[in-house]
Amino acid sequence: MIAEPSGMDLRQLLLILALVCANDSLSTSEVILGRPQIITCRSPEQETFSCHWTDRDFHNLTTPGTVQLLYMRRNDEEWKECPDYVTAGENSCYFNTSYTSIWITYCVKLIKKDEVLDEKCFSVDEIVQPDPPVGLNWTLLNTSLTGIHADIQVRWDPPPSADVQKGWITLEYELQYKDVNETKWRELEPMLTTVVPLYSLKLGRDYEIRVRSRQRASEKFGEFSEALYVSLSSISSVLCNEEIEFPWLLVIVFGTFGLIVVMFLILFSKHRRLKMLILPPVPAPKIKGIDPDLLKKGKLDEVNSILASHDSYKPQLYNDDSWVEFIELDIDDPDEKTDGLDTDRLLGDDHCKSHNCLGVKDDDSGRASCCEPDIPETDFSASDTCDGTSDIDQSKKINEKEEDLLCLDQKDNDESHASSADPTIQKPNTNIQSEDNQSKPPFADSIESTSPPVRTQISNQSSVANIDFYAQVSDVTPAGSVVLSPGQTNKTRRTQCDAYTEPAIQCQPNFTMDNAYFCEADVKKCIAATPHDAVEPHVQEQSFNEDVYFTTESLTTTAENPGAAAVEASSSEMPVPDYTSIHIVHSPQGLVLNATALPVPDKEFMISCGYVSTDQLNKIMP
Amino acid sequence: MFLSKKGVTSLPICPSGSVGCQVSLGNLFDRAVKLSHYIHSLSSEMFNEFDERYAQGRGFITKAINGCHTSSLTTPEDKEQAQQIHHEDLLNLVLGVLRSWNDPLLHLVSEVQSIKEAPDTILWKAVEIEEQNKRLLEGMEKIVGQVHPGEIENEVYSRWSGLPSLQMADEDSRLFAFYSLLHCLRRDSHKIDNYLKLLKCRLIHDSNC
Repeated sequence: MIAEPSGMDLRQLLLILALVCANDSLSTSEVILGRPQIITCRSPEQETFSCHWTDRDFHNLTTPGTVQLLYMRRNDEEWKECPDYVTAGENSCYFNTSYTSIWITYCVKLIKKDEVLDEKCFSVDEIVQPDPPVGLNWTLLNTSLTGIHADIQVRWDPPPSADVQKGWITLEYELQYKDVNETKWRELEPMLTTVVPLYSLKLGRDYEIRVRSRQRASEKFGEFSEALYVSLSSISSVLCNEEIEFPWLLVIVFGTFGLIVVMFLILFSKHRRLKMLILPPVPAPKIKGIDPDLLKKGKLDEVNSILASHDSYKPQLYNDDSWVEFIELDIDDPDEKTDGLDTDRLLGDDHCKSHNCLGVKDDDSGRASCCEPDIPETDFSASDTCDGTSDIDQSKKINEKEEDLLCLDQKDNDESHASSADPTIQKPNTNIQSEDNQSKPPFADSIESTSPPVRTQISNQSSVANIDFYAQVSDVTPAGSVVLSPGQTNKTRRTQCDAYTEPAIQCQPNFTMDNAYFCEADVKKCIAATPHDAVEPHVQEQSFNEDVYFTTESLTTTAENPGAAAVEASSSEMPVPDYTSIHIVHSPQGLVLNATALPVPDKEFMISCGYVSTDQLNKIMP
Repeated sequence: MFLSKKGVTSLPICPSGSVGCQVSLGNLFDRAVKLSHYIHSLSSEMFNEFDERYAQGRGFITKAINGCHTSSLTTPEDKEQAQQIHHEDLLNLVLGVLRSWNDPLLHLVSEVQSIKEAPDTILWKAVEIEEQNKRLLEGMEKIVGQVHPGEIENEVYSRWSGLPSLQMADEDSRLFAFYSLLHCLRRDSHKIDNYLKLLKCRLIHDSNC
């Protein structure tokens, strides 16, 4: 019998062990899985309430046990079990109106097999969380004039469960809205009304609106309603888009139009000036009153008439520039070099070399004087021209020196003048210089020296100044021809020099002679004296050279100008007569110079200036 | 606000012979509801502040399951009861509750200052509640005078005897006494607010707020 009690004890022992193990297992399982908790108790309308709890318990591992919710009201003495586990869903307990008392403290606890999982005390009026509002809709109030913004009115209804009409519950609402592309909701202040306007929504965009409610003076809101989709993009007007976009096209069109208008205005207002800038006029040889075309065409009669008509023209027409002004130092101008070849050759490199004069490209007649080493040439360019070419400005200053030049020339002339070639050299040069102001003693062109020795003499005598190139009108025949003689160089020149008082040279643009052995320089001066002085003298010179040529040619074409023909012949032969005699006088229109046909070795001399001083002619001529 | 005369059919706004009838009933109710709502807001805030500051971890809530001194007044506990009760009775009950709180509020103001490091907000709110409660009482008396004039009401109210508990030496007990008092204050202010809104919708807006 002893075995039975031991067996009994043994079973109890085993049972106890089993229970212990079960307890241990149960506790461990709970530790692993977590304890279910009562999450929320909520009353949507202050008439009923429900409690929900989470249950993380996995049924597999734990002993099957039901979770119970017990509740107790303030006045009750014992706990009661949840009346409804179903209505509110899983893991919930629903208390209907009969079980619900407001302003009474409830305590609920969740137990599982006598084990309290969670406990909570509250009163129903504290847990009111209304349902979301229903029936959200919106209407368009108005749109802005710009078509960018719009106002809408949103309207909703209170949750049907809440008895607002009887005033059992008073709700306040919170509206939130946002652009569909945004992430953050905008909130409005809680309001008691169910209608609210939304201002300044942008047309062309879509918005979302949602509303939630809470019992007034509570803190917890209910759930949000479904989002209301407000589509304003369909209302956007075309105007809106146009206004937003910058009217680039209009700006471009009108800008271009305005520019065109401005350009036309400028063109028309500054017509001449623009023309001057873009197409600077090629200075035509300007003999005042003479149409270059006439010369070109060889209308000698007309030229003569014009020239004669200007006989009475006084030097006032001329600049104050003396002849020296037209002595140009043209060193840098290649054209000058090319065109002035004759005078260059005339005065020449030889001369320059011999006299250590700087090569002057300009073939002005003033070379001789220019090449005077004693002549102060401060006004000249650095590469002073032996040949006496100078700018107009320089020529102006040269005016002052002209006297000296002349005188010096005379000196030099006296000094160096030895050869018989001198007179030859001197003679053909018509003394264009007038007593008034022929500031250009040396006309680069000596028609005479055709022979190299003459040339050399001329070049040699270039320092003597241009006086050698002067041909003085010694006599005027009754027939009307002017006899030019070379001459009393010193004397005449001195007279000239003495007579030279006026600083200003006025180039008489009118050449009264038909045969115009004009020194290039002279003509240049004359040209320069014209209003076109502003034009580069080089250009003038060139053109003048042309004129010279033209003149001679044109002159030769006339039958009345046998002298000219002779001249031309001589010119074509390249002889430079020492002097010319006036063959015919077409008073007051012109003089015909009859060039004596002397052998002219070089062509250059022909080109060189056997000039007739128009002033002299004017004096001579009636 | 709403000066609807829908509710007039049930009772005269200004009964004939009443000299002091100047403010309409609707207007009175509006003011009353505003006051009651204000008082309830203050009470809630004050309770929450006190709860946060002094009652954490003390388990006061479980102890507060005991009723308030106004529990003796049989007030409707749910909506059905509130709809069934007559508006005059309900008005009387509201008056009774308001009267019952005169004394406790007065002592609350004086005693809350003794709380160690009491925040100024609690003090201020206590003063404000006490003052507004007086005004609400006066308004309700006017309303009752209009709704049910002539009758001398038995002043029904509950006496409060919680003063000694507020003055207890034990701080913990004292704090619990304050906690209970504030908890009851919040509840009763909510009750009054609810009743008045109910009456307003019923009497003024004909149950169609």
